[in-house]
Amino acid sequence: MSSAESKSGKKARNKLTYERRKSLYGYGFIGIWIIGTLIFFIKPLITSLIWSFNDVTIGKGHTDLKWVGFENFSAAIMDDRTYAENLGATLLETLWKTPLILIFSLFIAVVLNQKFKGRTFARAIFFLPVIIATGPVYKIISGDMDTTGNAGAGQFSTMFSTDLVGELLQFLGVYGISEKLTTLIQSVADNIFGIVWSAGIQILIFLAALQNIPPSAREAAQMEGATSWEYFWKITFPYVSPFILANLIFTAIDSFTSPTNLVMKRILDIKQDWRFGMSSAMAWIYFMIVLIAVAIITAIVNKFIYYEVD
Amino acid sequence: MSDSLSAADNVKTHEIGGGLTKKQAKKIRMETMTKEEIGYLRRKALLDRVWPVFRFLIIFGLSFVILYPLIYMISCAFRERNDMNDPTVMWIPRHFTLEIIKETMTAMDFGETIKNTLILNIGCSLVQVLSCAVTGYGFARFKFKGKGFLFGVVIMMILVPTQIISLPLYNQFRYFGINESISINLIDTMATMYLPALTANGIRSGLMILIFRQFFKGLPRELEDAAYIDGCGPLKTFIRVMVPNAASAFLTVFLFSVVWYWNDYYVSSTFFNNNKTVALMLQNLDSQLRMALFSSSTVEISSREQIVWKEAGCLLSITPILILYTILQKHFTEGIERSGLVG
Repeated sequence: MSSAESKSGKKARNKLTYERRKSLYGYGFIGIWIIGTLIFFIKPLITSLIWSFNDVTIGKGHTDLKWVGFENFSAAIMDDRTYAENLGATLLETLWKTPLILIFSLFIAVVLNQKFKGRTFARAIFFLPVIIATGPVYKIISGDMDTTGNAGAGQFSTMFSTDLVGELLQFLGVYGISEKLTTLIQSVADNIFGIVWSAGIQILIFLAALQNIPPSAREAAQMEGATSWEYFWKITFPYVSPFILANLIFTAIDSFTSPTNLVMKRILDIKQDWRFGMSSAMAWIYFMIVLIAVAIITAIVNKFIYYEVD
Repeated sequence: MSDSLSAADNVKTHEIGGGLTKKQAKKIRMETMTKEEIGYLRRKALLDRVWPVFRFLIIFGLSFVILYPLIYMISCAFRERNDMNDPTVMWIPRHFTLEIIKETMTAMDFGETIKNTLILNIGCSLVQVLSCAVTGYGFARFKFKGKGFLFGVVIMMILVPTQIISLPLYNQFRYFGINESISINLIDTMATMYLPALTANGIRSGLMILIFRQFFKGLPRELEDAAYIDGCGPLKTFIRVMVPNAASAFLTVFLFSVVWYWNDYYVSSTFFNNNKTVALMLQNLDSQLRMALFSSSTVEISSREQIVWKEAGCLLSITPILILYTILQKHFTEGIERSGLVG
């Protein structure tokens, strides 16, 4: 009896040391990242948080801080009209654009997952935005040339959105539809460019998810005589639903943090004026809103997600 | 009992089927089907015919939306600037010229810029892919205290925009050292890009750590167990066993990394006073052009004519990365299922 106990005790101790050793290896693997994060992420993040509560003047080799409490925050929200307006506009735009991008990218991923001639070529084209859309090239081709101080940008951007659709509608002989419908179609079509161009990574992720659907599920659905519609909602959708959440968050973050959006621009402008405390406060307000928005989205969407038990 | 019966049945129908023409056999089959079955098959046949046409239209139309700017770029870059004011010129330039490309190349100082960008870009990408892979592996396979919290920090890295921390970071690089006693000025040196990349904190590194973690989690544990039993240490196991198995993930992440570094202008413009990278030069193409072509910064060129140089600049700056994409494209587009974007 006692020998058995001591044996199991020995086993436990052995296991413990093995696990401890493994956990040490774990720290070893992420050690370099921990050091980097402390220096290049955590420290500046905390500094900017401190700055947001202070009046900051930067001198040679030192920064002078004067504690002002929440003054920066209240000034950002109450006094700076541009900031408040931009904040509202950005939130609104993200709110309606994100679902559109998601639906679009899921649809395209389903289409690109089917077998047809020239599929590789089509995929290559649809992933093209992934390599271009994050840089200044996209800024230029999407007609956003404000930062380069260029007038007449509007004419350039409309060249390939509005006019194109107008021409297409005329070509199809569509003149007589009511004014409202035309403006609606035009506003969607105006944004098709933006949606298509910002959906590259989302399509990629959905496509990867679709390829993970086991063929047996498809066969079973065919045997039971499911229509494509039913197949989509009963098989495809549950399988990709975890990635809908991932994509949703990715899309929201991408649009929130893109340097081209209005709030970011405003923050950078303020920073250019050497009002660092103010710009930090603005950045933190914005960041908190983004964080809360993402948390709410995650909480809601998580309820509708189907996780396959591994 | 019933099995043998149905088997006999089968044989019988087969015999009958053998004696009939195809049309008659089909007729018999149609008669035995229920109404729903017929309806289902009819709808399916219709859909199979209509859908490919529809699909072609969708893909073709959207491909056009994506390719339009690229085609326009090529069309613009090879025309003379007065062609822009010629209403009859839409796609095919009337005066074909290489002049614009040459001028843009001088304005962007293309050779120097490309060299500089490649050193920064390829170097940082490689270093960052390696450091993120190591970190991702650590998160995927080892249990340790505070793992949940630390992974939360990774998620934070994805969420926090660079713009928030860039200014304190600038200060930090300006007076880099310990306790302000020993400080070096790192601004305008490559260290500002390489140090974060080396420690898995470069551009969008949070996302890359996440991708690697998901990927390594998906690899079978038996691979490592076998290596451990054979007496490999964890580091050797990682290099010898896990890395070769993760080749496709490395390729995908490397491509992403190159693209993100290539396209970045925010970070490089913050930490460098005068740095020649492709993205930055394109951003400032306007003033560069004026200085290079007309040697004065006040000359007004009509915005319509400026497009020629802008598009040429765009074309120049995406060409190298487009070539890389074309080479890797096959692995990239057909092999994503193995690349670990999916957990």
